[in-house]
Amino acid sequence: MATTASITLASSIMPNFGGYSKSMTLTEAGTSIDVKETTGYARRKLSATTKVDLVTMANLMVGEDTAGASHKIFIKNIGYNNVIDKSTGVKVFINSVEIGVLYGGDWLMMPIVASDAEDVEVQPLTDDTVVLEWVMFYKGA
Amino acid sequence: MATTAAMQLNSDLMTGVLSASASTTMMKAGTTADGLDQMRMGYNKVPTGTSFDLLNATAAGVDKATKVYICNESTDETYYVTIVIDAKTIGRLYGGDWMFIPWNQDDVTHDLEITATGGTNNITWICFHEGETLTTQDASLGASD
Repeated sequence: MATTASITLASSIMPNFGGYSKSMTLTEAGTSIDVKETTGYARRKLSATTKVDLVTMANLMVGEDTAGASHKIFIKNIGYNNVIDKSTGVKVFINSVEIGVLYGGDWLMMPIVASDAEDVEVQPLTDDTVVLEWVMFYKGA
Repeated sequence: MATTAAMQLNSDLMTGVLSASASTTMMKAGTTADGLDQMRMGYNKVPTGTSFDLLNATAAGVDKATKVYICNESTDETYYVTIVIDAKTIGRLYGGDWMFIPWNQDDVTHDLEITATGGTNNITWICFHEGETLTTQDASLGASD
């Protein structure tokens, strides 16, 4: 029961930058035990500039492990109706501290604490409709 | 001047295999044709216990489309670095873990900080950005200062 994520970065900004790739297996904190819990893959459609919870930690199915804090979340801005608009961005927050903006097509993969109140929040920059896809992997309490 | 980030996610946690992929071309904030044009990268050995600014937020980075990749290259799975943005703990990168995020330096206190635990952690980081200008040399200092 393994969960893996690999990244490949390529850029022509810096001459002779040969690119970069890395793969990781998602495990429980500080161990080689595969992570066992997931929210499942989900979509959320947003059409207003109101900040809303994307993931409410208190609602996780089996509670959350606040000690390990090695949970991972993936979020992707897929645009709307098969149109990916690079000018339509969505701010991502952890408990009201902004991480950054996912413009059309952008994605993130990051560790999160996942304790109560450390919710993942999102807020579109405009009221243009945009859809986020996301999945979280975590260790239950 | 294209910069791309692609990801492949696979999981057999559920009875049906979960697979997702993503690829983005990194553009300047809100634009469709103007790619990010600056980058920095580094490799640091982070001693345990002390908090360090891995990346300092700057006024030039406010509301830009900066992207940051960080990898904990430590081979000991019990080693980890705690990732903090503007005094908010985001999470931990254990040995072998990586992260990729947009980073809006929405004010100059929005530094990206790390603290190592377990031992000296080896960190690779890459920051793709725009808007940075070089600081003019301080004319009051001599060439040998």
